Amino acid sequence: MISMGRYARRRVANRLWLAASMAATALGLIFLFLVLYALLRNGIPAISGTLFTTSTPPPGSAGGLANAIYGSLIMTIVATLVGTPVGMLTGTFLSEFGKGSVLASVVRFVNDILLSAPSIIIGLFVYQIVVVPMGHFSAWAGSAALALIVIPVVVRTTENMLELVPHGLREAAAALGTPQWRVIVQVIYRAAMQGILTGVMLAVARIAGETAPLLFTALNNQFWSANMNAPIANLPVVIFQFALSPYDDWRTLAWGGAMLITFTILILNVLARMLAGWSSRTP
Amino acid sequence: MQTTAHPVAAAAPKPAVKCEVKDLRFYYKQYEALKGIGLPLYDKRVTAFIGPSGCGKSTLLRVLNRIYELYPDQRATGEVLVDGHNILDPGQDLNLLRAKIGMVFQKPTPFPMSIYDNVAFGIRLYQRLRSRELDERVEEALQRAALWNEVKDKLRQSGLSLSGGQQQRLCIARAIAVKPEILLLDEPASALDPISTQRIEELIAELKSDYCIVIVTHNMQQAARSSDYTAFMYLGALVEFDETETIFTHPGQKQTEDYITGRFG
Amino acid sequence: MTIAMVARHDRQRLWDLLFRNATRAFAILVLLLLGGVMVALGVGAWPAFAHFGPGFLTSMAWNPVKDEYGALPAIFGTLATSAIAMLIGVPLALGVAVFLTELCPPFLRRPIGTMIELLAGIPSIIYGIWGLFVLAPFLQETVQPVLIDTLGNIPLIGLLFEGPPLGLGILTAGFILAMMVLPFITAVTRDVFLTVPPMLRESAYGLGATTSEVVRDIVVPYTRTGIIGGVMLGLGRALGETMAVTFVIGNAHEIHTSLLAPGTTISATLANEFTEAVTPLYVSSLFALGFILFVITFLVLAAAKYMLIRLQRQAGT
Repeated sequence: MISMGRYARRRVANRLWLAASMAATALGLIFLFLVLYALLRNGIPAISGTLFTTSTPPPGSAGGLANAIYGSLIMTIVATLVGTPVGMLTGTFLSEFGKGSVLASVVRFVNDILLSAPSIIIGLFVYQIVVVPMGHFSAWAGSAALALIVIPVVVRTTENMLELVPHGLREAAAALGTPQWRVIVQVIYRAAMQGILTGVMLAVARIAGETAPLLFTALNNQFWSANMNAPIANLPVVIFQFALSPYDDWRTLAWGGAMLITFTILILNVLARMLAGWSSRTP
Repeated sequence: MQTTAHPVAAAAPKPAVKCEVKDLRFYYKQYEALKGIGLPLYDKRVTAFIGPSGCGKSTLLRVLNRIYELYPDQRATGEVLVDGHNILDPGQDLNLLRAKIGMVFQKPTPFPMSIYDNVAFGIRLYQRLRSRELDERVEEALQRAALWNEVKDKLRQSGLSLSGGQQQRLCIARAIAVKPEILLLDEPASALDPISTQRIEELIAELKSDYCIVIVTHNMQQAARSSDYTAFMYLGALVEFDETETIFTHPGQKQTEDYITGRFG
Repeated sequence: MTIAMVARHDRQRLWDLLFRNATRAFAILVLLLLGGVMVALGVGAWPAFAHFGPGFLTSMAWNPVKDEYGALPAIFGTLATSAIAMLIGVPLALGVAVFLTELCPPFLRRPIGTMIELLAGIPSIIYGIWGLFVLAPFLQETVQPVLIDTLGNIPLIGLLFEGPPLGLGILTAGFILAMMVLPFITAVTRDVFLTVPPMLRESAYGLGATTSEVVRDIVVPYTRTGIIGGVMLGLGRALGETMAVTFVIGNAHEIHTSLLAPGTTISATLANEFTEAVTPLYVSSLFALGFILFVITFLVLAAAKYMLIRLQRQAGT
């Protein structure tokens, strides 16, 4: 009754499909390594003592990326400091106070849309509401754009992490007569802190490489500047400008900057994963 | 079945009634989970709620500190008089109520902070004490919970680093640190090994001299050992309430007898 | 219960109210953000729409000197690159998800899964420079000549592959985008594959089905809604990707039938030209492009979210 011919065909088909899926995975991994290899091969020549100490040079001379590194750092820090509390409080609302309310469902929906929205649109938005009224580009505008990218990530992670806190903990705190805000701030946040921190790290990893939102908010600056109220150098836009230029030393610096950003992000991602894994192992 | 029963007058002077439950009904949405319960809870005594799974004993316990208010679909009607004052009154402040009526849960729930901070948590909610006074209160609570000797050298370590039995005693210490008047224990030893269970039972025997204790348990022998009064519940109704000795030797209701003798689980 | 305790307690109730309202306020802020984006874009775009009318959407003009602009090349490029990204990326992503859930030995699952997720972490601009300096020359020298010589000679399909091998162009941009959306679709697909009840799988295996048959006939139909949701999420990303595309698409406001020709997308146009736009109409036209992109992405993402919610309800979570 069993057709052996047909069965043989099925087995072959099965092998082919599974081989295809393995090939797909291999392809993905190969791409990853190709990119990392290219970064290392082209970026390492840029590593020197001056990379971190001198600012971006005019074409044809040697220099570093100090001003860009500083600009990226400072805008990332400001964006994280602003975006994290906003995101955490919103996530708290979604998890603790908004259960079942229409407002919470709508906010959750909107948040997920903002999470995946093109970052260049965020840049346009911040241009309209910050750069135009101010009359000029600034690091503040850049930070604002980055903060708007941080917020949805933190909202999502906070809500998920707070949901994971077992009900027993909430009840135990309530049974002591703890007012609700203390239950959340002193008990629930502490219990979820590792997960929330992981979310913040992933948000930072995300904005570290964002170029589009900075293109018309922070713009760029050839010189060293610590003025938040003026255009400021930053790694992604410098890479953009230098990579597309015809100058060799600029291009080398671009690769160097690219390597810096990528490996920072990869380390952050791996750390975040380790942090998350560690917290799931504690009892 | 609505039975409001008072125990037969014993030879010893009758203890004071700390809490009186009158015609209490409880609803999960439309479903009536408690059907007209009435019973007294005596001060400085242990009262046990027993009955098969789903009989409503935990539900009844959780009415007493209104912890059900955390969940919007649950509500209670009737009266629960504590020292004459109805705690089901909508005007009753819940946090103040829970400072007076403490609860320990089935699963140990230490807060994610140090042992010291766990015990001090409740105290800090209501009082601003100097650190020496706070230290004394924390030590006192841990002593009464029979945990002090095991943790006195590691007060700053996380509460989560303790064993299951120790964590539960920590939760008891945390509950009594705020000096409540009534202590509610929801199957406090069911998640613990036999040795820890025994220690908890010894603890309850010591604590009862200061508190009105109510304990829910599915372990009949534990109820027989530890309590002074027992309430037997079935399908949301109170079947019988009497002194423990009476319930377990010559119960008044056939259903009670059937349960005690294991004819149904 | 002392008077001091009660007084302190009353202050707590005030804090309770403040905290609760603060969280609600920030939640509303998130809503306002989305509304604000639409309004800001709309306000910026309005002069262009008013000036050009609906013809803006179909016009192929793009002439800063004459101050004439049309959105069609940019819209075409956006849709074409995303379509290529989906055609290449979705099968690959499904393949990876199948590998990770069915074939991969358990001890390798975590490392390989993490590495695929790292693909998502690499910023767009890195893909851009890699595409420009590594992939484009490779395609130009190796792949594209082959395509032109083989597929370019077939009638009809040949139209897609004519023209000089530039290395840059719509096809290259599509490739890069495919790599970028791969990890997102894989992640969602893998998650939904894991929601299939083991009983269902076991019944199929128990009847003698092969692994690929189980996947094709049981797992995929069961998780169909989720997969579509994941695909649309990936599509939403592809539509909005900026930097990677900007580097490799050639930046020409043109439409060709050939995939090897240069073109542009909405986001690439914005990235390249926004800071150079001198006239108000130029700026407004760019805003109009941004507005169109936002509407397209919003619709795609909303549809994706809707599908994922439906899958969650179906799974009973």
